[in-house]
Amino acid sequence: MYDKHILTDEGCRSIWEHGKKIGYCVNIKINYYRGLPLCCIEEIDLEVDGEKVDPNTMLVQHNGREYRYLDLLTDDFPTDVYWIFGEKLRVVVLKEGGIEQGRHRVKLTLKTRRSYTPTMVSVCEKELTFA
Amino acid sequence: MKTNHDIKLGVSLYSYQDNYYFHKHDLEGCLAAAAGSGAEGIEIFPEMMIPEWPYISDAFLDKYYGWMERYGLETVCVDHFADRAMHKNKQLTDDELLERSVWYIKAAKKLGATHIRLLHSAHLGKLLTIPGQKPIDLVNPEITGRLLPYCAEYGIVLALECHAPTSVDDPVQQAYLEVADKLGLSEYIGLQVDFSSYEYCMSTADVGMFSRQGINRECLEYIREKQREAYFAGKDFVFEEIEPELKKMGFTDNDKRAIQHVFSLRQRRPASYEKLKEYASKVVYVHGKFYDIDENGQVDNMDYPKIIKALQEGGYKGYICSEFEGNRRMNDAGWCDEIEYVRKHQELMRKCLGYEK
Repeated sequence: MYDKHILTDEGCRSIWEHGKKIGYCVNIKINYYRGLPLCCIEEIDLEVDGEKVDPNTMLVQHNGREYRYLDLLTDDFPTDVYWIFGEKLRVVVLKEGGIEQGRHRVKLTLKTRRSYTPTMVSVCEKELTFA
Repeated sequence: MKTNHDIKLGVSLYSYQDNYYFHKHDLEGCLAAAAGSGAEGIEIFPEMMIPEWPYISDAFLDKYYGWMERYGLETVCVDHFADRAMHKNKQLTDDELLERSVWYIKAAKKLGATHIRLLHSAHLGKLLTIPGQKPIDLVNPEITGRLLPYCAEYGIVLALECHAPTSVDDPVQQAYLEVADKLGLSEYIGLQVDFSSYEYCMSTADVGMFSRQGINRECLEYIREKQREAYFAGKDFVFEEIEPELKKMGFTDNDKRAIQHVFSLRQRRPASYEKLKEYASKVVYVHGKFYDIDENGQVDNMDYPKIIKALQEGGYKGYICSEFEGNRRMNDAGWCDEIEYVRKHQELMRKCLGYEK
């Protein structure tokens, strides 16, 4: 399957706003053979350099829209907004000062729900270069 | 110009999932690959290759019909999914699942398909159970009955996929057909064969994948060999009979758990070819499932000549679509050439059907 590929090495960088680094992002891909509604995300768990990222600080950007990560997990999130198969979903971590340029160890645990099999849990750990 | 064979050949675009996921080919590229294999039709998963799903715009259809014309293809089947587990703490109600299922019927109509593969509750036979949870109910006979008037309105047939460990002759499928009979709408529903029911041993693709996951390759090959021996001797494969020998080779309970969802332990022999022949004229759609092709051009764990002969002699009329599932078993080791696998598979099926020597 795609477990080795859910964490991409494309577009990892600090994010700037008004001349300041306000956070950083990684781009991830789905762990399944088709797209799923965003509300089928059970969990996106990130560890950067061994430190767990606070889910309260995470935003998700996909297909031109931005959501608070925790909103995706609520029981009334719309069911017609899909994570497109093969397309990246950008996870933004809000953190003053962004991330130091260079190599960082990132671990992603991605859990997605389908109806006809148990929740899929995929773990991917990589050294990524942040711009 | 299409052939006039009773049994036509197509490709499920599922077969090209890695090409799409890794952006080697877009939808047009996948259609071109299918056409290049000699196929005349395709099956599409809307959630996989229609990025605007669950909506399908006229702009998309403009492109889509252009491609279908350019590559000489027709849409045969759209795959339905029954994702009830939309939210963490609540499942979709029957009404919501019905509404969502109608999306697929309308999509099939828009795309020019004749069938949807219905993910019905009995697609694996008995209801799925996960320890500690209620059995997973997908589209049950009652919801199926409520879908049929939509099928009649849009001219779409529901194909009840019978995937291993079940098969078309499993009585559990009858409840769905009976609902349609009562409504007088039986022309809008029928059985769908999936060749997984006819696996007689673990595939070499599974042997490779499980060995890379750390299970002793010798043990896996031993299981496969014993399964083949049993099949060619016309006997049941009984895992317990070879278990003591496997344990001596170092096969652990963890290994057993890891592989128990594949053919190795769940089936003793493939489903009956005789029954397949008996049911063939009632079948409305077929998945030509395969995982690997051996050096002789044969599928390595299913008896294609026998399966296809049963369908042909039993009077099946419709499409068999290649459904390559080796990708997800091989791609941990590097690039898997899905396009080439499908080409070989189409050639094998044309030979089995007597369309070429």
